[in-house]
Amino acid sequence: MSLIADEIIQFSSVLRIAYNLLAGRNYLKRKKFREKEKLVAVTLPFSDLAFAADTIPVFPIRMHQFEINQYLTYLGSASSIFGWNTVSNFLGFVRNLGIEEVSKIVDEIIEDVIDVINKKYNEMYDIGIENGISSDFCYGLKSLVGMHVSKGSNVDACLNVTIRCSAYNKYLESLKAINQGPKQIWIDIPPRNIGNAIELLTDNVSNAIKDFEDLTGKTVTDNQLRDHFKIGNQVKRSYKNIIYDISSSDFYPCNPATFSEIMALLSITYQDYNSNATRYRDNIVSLEKEMRERIRKGIGMDVSDRPRIFVTPMFGGWEPKSHEIIYELGGRALYADWELLKLLEEIPTSPDSNPAEEYARFLMNATETGIGCDNDKLTDSYLRIAKDLNADGMVFFQLFGCHSVSNCYTMLREKVRSELEIPTTAITFNKIGESIDQMKTRLGAFMEMFK
Amino acid sequence: MDDLSLLSDFSLFLKEKKSEGVKIIAYLAHDNIPEELLDAAGFFPLRLMFGGNDDLMDASHDFLPPSTCAFAQSCIGLFSTKPNIFRFLELVDYFIVSNHCVSDVCVSEIISKYFNISRLNFYVPYTKNESSLKYFKLELLDLKNKLEDIIGTELSDEKLLESINKYNQFKKILLEVNELEMIGSEKLKIIHKAMLYGPEFLPDLENIIQNAKDNPPPISDTFKDVIITGCSIFINDNMVDLIEEGGGNIVFFDTWIGNHYYSQIIDDNSLTSEKEPLDLLVLKFKNNVYGDHSVPNFLELKVSQIENYYQDYTKTKGKKLGVINHIIKFCDHISLMSSFLKDRLQKKGIQVLNLERDYSRANRGQLSTRIEAYLEMMK
Repeated sequence: MSLIADEIIQFSSVLRIAYNLLAGRNYLKRKKFREKEKLVAVTLPFSDLAFAADTIPVFPIRMHQFEINQYLTYLGSASSIFGWNTVSNFLGFVRNLGIEEVSKIVDEIIEDVIDVINKKYNEMYDIGIENGISSDFCYGLKSLVGMHVSKGSNVDACLNVTIRCSAYNKYLESLKAINQGPKQIWIDIPPRNIGNAIELLTDNVSNAIKDFEDLTGKTVTDNQLRDHFKIGNQVKRSYKNIIYDISSSDFYPCNPATFSEIMALLSITYQDYNSNATRYRDNIVSLEKEMRERIRKGIGMDVSDRPRIFVTPMFGGWEPKSHEIIYELGGRALYADWELLKLLEEIPTSPDSNPAEEYARFLMNATETGIGCDNDKLTDSYLRIAKDLNADGMVFFQLFGCHSVSNCYTMLREKVRSELEIPTTAITFNKIGESIDQMKTRLGAFMEMFK
Repeated sequence: MDDLSLLSDFSLFLKEKKSEGVKIIAYLAHDNIPEELLDAAGFFPLRLMFGGNDDLMDASHDFLPPSTCAFAQSCIGLFSTKPNIFRFLELVDYFIVSNHCVSDVCVSEIISKYFNISRLNFYVPYTKNESSLKYFKLELLDLKNKLEDIIGTELSDEKLLESINKYNQFKKILLEVNELEMIGSEKLKIIHKAMLYGPEFLPDLENIIQNAKDNPPPISDTFKDVIITGCSIFINDNMVDLIEEGGGNIVFFDTWIGNHYYSQIIDDNSLTSEKEPLDLLVLKFKNNVYGDHSVPNFLELKVSQIENYYQDYTKTKGKKLGVINHIIKFCDHISLMSSFLKDRLQKKGIQVLNLERDYSRANRGQLSTRIEAYLEMMK
């Protein structure tokens, strides 16, 4: 892992995003108890209305206490006095002096961030099963149940957006059985864009906004919605630039394993923007700048000889070691789930627009052309992204117990073979760290095809 | 009549339909498909309500991972292997892709795509608010338009109303099965046949019900009465036999194949009102509050429905009543809610058995043991 750590230290924005993810509990406690803000549980990147309504969206795992490496804690404290850039530069300077102890500490910090998140996910998975969810469900659902069982009572509301996955929708219903306190705010997305479905979805969005107003006692204006969408659009722009301009290029600002690590971090944090949209926007914009700056200076790695392996889906659970293994086998792993599902599309914000309707269009577009109401459409989304990323191969994570996405693999494999003519393989996944050796063997055989 | 002869007779019935030029539209058996619309347009609605076995489940694995709902796997297996008694599936002209659950979408899509059956879409919203009812009507309109394209003529309101009335009457009669003093397996045979044949079975159904009322078949006093809720017991499934062999008697089928279907009756006032026929179908959807597809109030409504039935039953019959929550392995809706349903009912003093299974022969012994232990506990 030292190589990865070696690179990440150069990206202070990554340290900030990682720190904000892990130190979320203190931030959220302050918001809830001192500033009397309302916390709203969100899952998948559907936090926009919560931000616009001046509440604090939180992906529930972030309410947990993480075992943050003590040095990252010091860095966090130091950063609040000196600023993150200063701290990062200092670390880089010390590291360049070759002080081994400091290098080790920095390595440990980065390794810890990733390990700690994964351990916590697995802990949530176990809590979910202990509390009655059948082990037959997918990793994502079991972990989500664990998050709500352990911390869900701390939130004031849950924002529940229906998607094509019936297990997910039933999980949303179960939240009020897990914790009776939080208000349940629903947005039901019509499965298809037929007739005046957009109008109906706009009504559903407006009703959800009213629920937020009831929750906070404050009116949500159109301008608040637009202002948040503008911030969200900046986040999306930078995220897309990183996906398309940088991850599919032949020169990376760091080694490919580091790059994948950063993309995984973005994927997790994009769901709730680490509970602070402006701060997250600033961090991701600066991350893009840092990457471009390094590329401009020729700092990084020529990856033109490494096949681009599109690894997906990861949002419901995936083996985080996969990108390291792919790197060791001579490839580079690309992650782009939110773009695939059309959840990185910008929302129009012109003054004469109706923001509730624009948000409805955004949701409908994701449902119709990203997530898809059936596997034909969903598999088209995989093909679209694989083409756009110039992928040389595709690794599909087939989650045990996933009846929505994983079930499309047969159809996807056929389409990939006939339309893209690139190799593809499926890896079964149940729990992080459970079958790494098996995965290594499978990926080894797969990567042989590129030699 | 056993399941094999039911299927064999049905096969002949369907062939006859086909020879009369009737086209067949198949779909997974859920409770929100507007069969009245299909009937009014001159199609025969074929509900896939057939249980599975190891071979059928195995045959689906070319298309889906084994961690898919066992019923869904078996439906693919039926089309993939076409066992002799299911040869009538070759007569299917169209397949409805619907979203009762995501396995419904996947399986229907696979059947349509890989077995070359023209596809019709019918998607159902998850919630039941004003917007979703309006959306349901959009789906009805869309399906109606597609059917009209196929038959090349407009479907009149009169014709649709006629079908709505026909199905409504059929369900009213079928609802009487709930009250028959008859062993569960016999009731289930009637329900199976009625739901397979549809309203054409009505004259026979009326006779059977009258006979059962006039000469109620004897039921042993030693049986323990139970409600079955959760997943349906489909045709060619031995679950009802396992329960009866264990000493139980199902008195109420609270499932798709059962009360969910025939309780969807439109009241006479609405029928005679000036409502558009499609609005009547929307009303039917709105009133189907115990269906497992809906969120967010399924659990509360289901608990209160079972509690009411339980209280009423124990009061009038003076007997204990058990609840078997039948969970077909990997069923999203029933499985995810099962622990909550059990906890809530048990808090009200109602004993629940969450019985999870797939269609493999190997687990028969284990299921019997669990059923027997549960019924023993009811003493």
